[in-house]
Amino acid sequence: MIGTPVLETPVVERRIRWASLLIVAGLLVQLASLLVIHPLAFVAFLMLGCPLVGIGIISYLLALVSSDSQGH
Amino acid sequence: MPVSVILMLGMSAALIALFVGFRVHVTRSREGKILAFVALFALPVMAAWAGFSEHMDRAESTKFCLSCHIMTDFGRSLYIDDPSYIPAAHFQNNRVRRDQACYTCHTNYTMFGTVTAKMHGLRHLWVQYIGTVPKPEAIKLYDAYNNRECLHCHLGARNFEQGSAHSKAPDRLSLIKSNKLSCISSGCHEFVHDVASLKDDTFWKEKP
Repeated sequence: MIGTPVLETPVVERRIRWASLLIVAGLLVQLASLLVIHPLAFVAFLMLGCPLVGIGIISYLLALVSSDSQGH
Repeated sequence: MPVSVILMLGMSAALIALFVGFRVHVTRSREGKILAFVALFALPVMAAWAGFSEHMDRAESTKFCLSCHIMTDFGRSLYIDDPSYIPAAHFQNNRVRRDQACYTCHTNYTMFGTVTAKMHGLRHLWVQYIGTVPKPEAIKLYDAYNNRECLHCHLGARNFEQGSAHSKAPDRLSLIKSNKLSCISSGCHEFVHDVASLKDDTFWKEKP
């Protein structure tokens, strides 16, 4: 509608949101893997949980760096 | 670190990260930025490290090694009621920790022994779920069993250094120590798991 202000979430905040979701997903996989003692649980932790948390952390850090370079 | 503490740490990290994710505008304030850093960096790193450490400890446990069906017979062989079977004698007499029985004898005591064991473990998983699973009696070690793994505990022990069989010939002890004469060679401690003959064996029943 014309004249209605649209409150868009800044790009940096959207990136932080995505980073947090990735980290939460990774942590949940890691927590679930700790509930059973089995080699597959170890592989799930290492091959799924850790990469999700790692990508989330890197996304968060990149969001910080990009927002800094844009002068936020 | 107890598993309950690791689970609490992980759950706290996940909840705070979720809060930051859904209330992302809080990161506009200075306090919010600190909270985001803790939630999206410090706590996840701590939780992941604690979880990794716990998984590494679990990977050394007998229960972990025997959790694949193909290892069942190897687990049973630890209960053979015959002291000439080396793994059974070590397991039943607490010469190795029962909860780490497999790892104690089957890891290489070298700088990258644990890493090598983990890489082998990944290959075992591949074979278990993707490849063709061999019969238990067809499973062989990658390399001939190295005396180094026995000497890790026995070197310097009186019954090893002065045992009559070990000092029967003047150079026998040095041959054993240099791995030129295998401890499990024929005529010595030759009975190991021998899963092919399990059906003929009697088993020790541990008292509860």
